[in-house]
Amino acid sequence: MATNVGAFRPEELAASPHRFFRRRYVWQWPIRVFHWTNAISITVLFLTGLYIAHPILAPAGEAYKAFVMGRVRQIHFLFAFIFAVGFIWRMYWFWMGNNYARSGFPFFWRRSWWQDLFRQLGDYLHLRRGHVHLGHNALGGLSYTVFVIALGWAQLLTGLAMYSESNPGGFWSSLVGWVIPLAGGSFQVHMWHHLFAWLFVVFAILHLYIVFYDGQQYKNGLVTSMISGVKFYQEGDVDHDSWLS
Amino acid sequence: MSSSGHPKTTYDVLRAHGVDRRKFLKFCTLTAAAMGLDVSLVPKVVEAMETKPRIPVIWLHGLECTCCSESFIRSSHPIAQDVILNMISLDYDDTLQAAAGEQVEEIRRKVMKEHPGEYVLAVEGNAPTNDGGVYCTVGGDTFLNVLRETAEHAKFVVAWGSCASNGCVQSAYPNPTGAKPVHELIHGKPIVNVPGCPPIAEVMTGVLTYVLTFGRLPELDSFHRPKMFYAQRIHDKCYRRAYFDAGQFVEEWDDDGARKGWCLYKMGCRGPTTYNSCSTFKWNNGVSYPIGSGHGCIGCSENNFWDNSPFYDRLTSIPVPGIEATPDGVGETLAIAAGVGVAAHFASFMVKKGLDRSRGRDAESDE
Repeated sequence: MATNVGAFRPEELAASPHRFFRRRYVWQWPIRVFHWTNAISITVLFLTGLYIAHPILAPAGEAYKAFVMGRVRQIHFLFAFIFAVGFIWRMYWFWMGNNYARSGFPFFWRRSWWQDLFRQLGDYLHLRRGHVHLGHNALGGLSYTVFVIALGWAQLLTGLAMYSESNPGGFWSSLVGWVIPLAGGSFQVHMWHHLFAWLFVVFAILHLYIVFYDGQQYKNGLVTSMISGVKFYQEGDVDHDSWLS
Repeated sequence: MSSSGHPKTTYDVLRAHGVDRRKFLKFCTLTAAAMGLDVSLVPKVVEAMETKPRIPVIWLHGLECTCCSESFIRSSHPIAQDVILNMISLDYDDTLQAAAGEQVEEIRRKVMKEHPGEYVLAVEGNAPTNDGGVYCTVGGDTFLNVLRETAEHAKFVVAWGSCASNGCVQSAYPNPTGAKPVHELIHGKPIVNVPGCPPIAEVMTGVLTYVLTFGRLPELDSFHRPKMFYAQRIHDKCYRRAYFDAGQFVEEWDDDGARKGWCLYKMGCRGPTTYNSCSTFKWNNGVSYPIGSGHGCIGCSENNFWDNSPFYDRLTSIPVPGIEATPDGVGETLAIAAGVGVAAHFASFMVKKGLDRSRGRDAESDE
């Protein structure tokens, strides 16, 4: 393993940082926009969703003067549509972007992908610096596929199905109305939607930690790469997104 | 109970009862209005009543509580008396009819033999399937057999109430008798589900009137419910909806909000997830309905509504069999588990770092 990775030598870094670190433009701007619209919309959706499930504010006075639940639902729907548009945008960019835009895809029919998955898991658990990836490693790609793409679609489908309920027979109900009988009824759709929302919290905890840990371990500028698009690698590091080719 | 041998039309029967033409046309107009039809369709209703022979109906009772019949006989538009005596030919209904025993079962067989493919089978209740269906027997045979036998030559099957439509309480977890709703037992027949515990009286007579008038089932949704009565949620026509949108909710049964008639959402009201006409038609000739009386909807017309209990909590147990936890409970547990895992990883990372550093120092001092 060590043959592929340049050992991190702080004294060399201090001596000649320009020679030591190589930079590569990895995340194109559509990917970064997708990341941050997701981050913002998931946060807003989770918080407004908590209010919709457990409304804690009780405005005084006559009902016609207040529109708290109505407004919170409007915000929830607005950010849901932003989230949805981001997904459609990301699907387009999966084909149009650079190779790194496809590096998170679970290539489960390729042996090299499985090898990388377990190697990365072992590296994280043994606290060691292993293979360097400029795109996603197999484990990271799998986690985004499950926790962002699959979970996001599940939330979009259940959410839009509930959204469609206020206009039976309308556009959204003809598009996603099938979700309700599939889940067994409207009540079950609400329950799944609420349960799935919590998985985003689980994801956020794991994601934030691993991003900071990975950035610290590999000195690859992972955290800032989602702003600048640039990732760093050291002399002697080999890009191991091998399943892409 | 009328005899099934004479294919009289509804008009014939009404004339025989002394109803004049003017009153007959009024009746047809009211019937059309009850079905939500346009005025231009009244002549079709008139034509149907004049020309089509009354439909023979066999009304079976399986595993049920008869609340559907209780509801049905209280229908006011059209009144149940008109439906039973004039519009349909109710040939077999073991709860309403005076006769009993072998004679009654003979009538059922006679209708099946004389009107194959013409009679309507109305089913109240469902059939237990475990142990050969012995948990419900009618006239010496299991209800499962009676149901299958009667459905074989029926034109349509009308599944009354939540029992027949989706199983209701007898098929709630753990369902010891293996009770199954009609659409899981009868295949290859047009089935209309009229869920509710019980269904609204006017919805029941409305469905029958539609079937009688047009000789076909009304437009159905994905749960085989007639769209004209089950297309919308109670929530969307609820008179307390303004309080929901405002964010004003009842928190306790005796609080100020309850007295002011605020929204019952936080008290577990199932209005937002229940498709029925309660907030439109109301009950008992339009007097009131559960939310109107200060109690949340329990969602009695929805699939497995008993398994979604307790009725006074908004989010109950997650829809995964074998796990008794709320979505919030599951979510919080998973989030805590993720946090603990992350913390453990970070702690071991710091320990390793510390060990490496001290080892490095040892190495230096060794030199």
